[in-house]
Amino acid sequence: MIEIISSVFLIVGAFFSLTGAVGIFKFPDFFTRVHAASVTDSISTILIIFGLILRTDFDLVAVKLLFILIFMLLTSPTASHALAKSARHGGLLTLAETRSDKKVGDD
Amino acid sequence: MLLLAFGIISVALVLWLLHRMNNTDAEIQKLALNLSFIRYTMWLLGQVVLSSLTVTRLVWGSRKELKPTIGKLPVNKVPKKSRVLYANSITLTPGTLCIDIDNENVTIHALNEESLHSLKRGDMADKVPGENKGVS
Repeated sequence: MIEIISSVFLIVGAFFSLTGAVGIFKFPDFFTRVHAASVTDSISTILIIFGLILRTDFDLVAVKLLFILIFMLLTSPTASHALAKSARHGGLLTLAETRSDKKVGDD
Repeated sequence: MLLLAFGIISVALVLWLLHRMNNTDAEIQKLALNLSFIRYTMWLLGQVVLSSLTVTRLVWGSRKELKPTIGKLPVNKVPKKSRVLYANSITLTPGTLCIDIDNENVTIHALNEESLHSLKRGDMADKVPGENKGVS
């Protein structure tokens, strides 16, 4: 029974991971792509690690996996924020701003 | 003679490091792992699941629905110590991304206007735990 639940967690997690990857290719600009990557960062990590915890004997390995999850959830937003902040300060415009610039130019 | 001098230097170095570590050991570390923090974590995980579903729908849906917006939110209400947690929570939920933070505002990039509005309503800012709420 636990095997089946764990498999469901892993498969759904893999699906979200794939979604993030597809989103990175499909989305139009840098900032929206960071959003797509954050799907992989957050929900897919949670699901896959919970699926893996269910497959352990709930011993030290499970605790280690839990710690991996906690540190991933702490560090991955920081990494996304560092990327986005440096892009912003480097002068990269968002999609909306680029469009409004064009409109102003057309007028 | 040279080797002896190296030995003395390394012993002195280790003693100095140990002394410093002893001082650090005596400092009181406070880990705010109380009930409100756990409740906030649970609520945040729920939000992560909900907004992930939204972004998933955007990824597999058509590109027309994608309306990225950028906006500023005031962070005066959030106590100073909790601002990192607040910004991290914003980035952790897919669909919203904290780009910049200063003393008054956080700059937020959102995939659609709805998620920006729900942040503006201030659910998350109200729920972020802080030791001295309201006093920043």
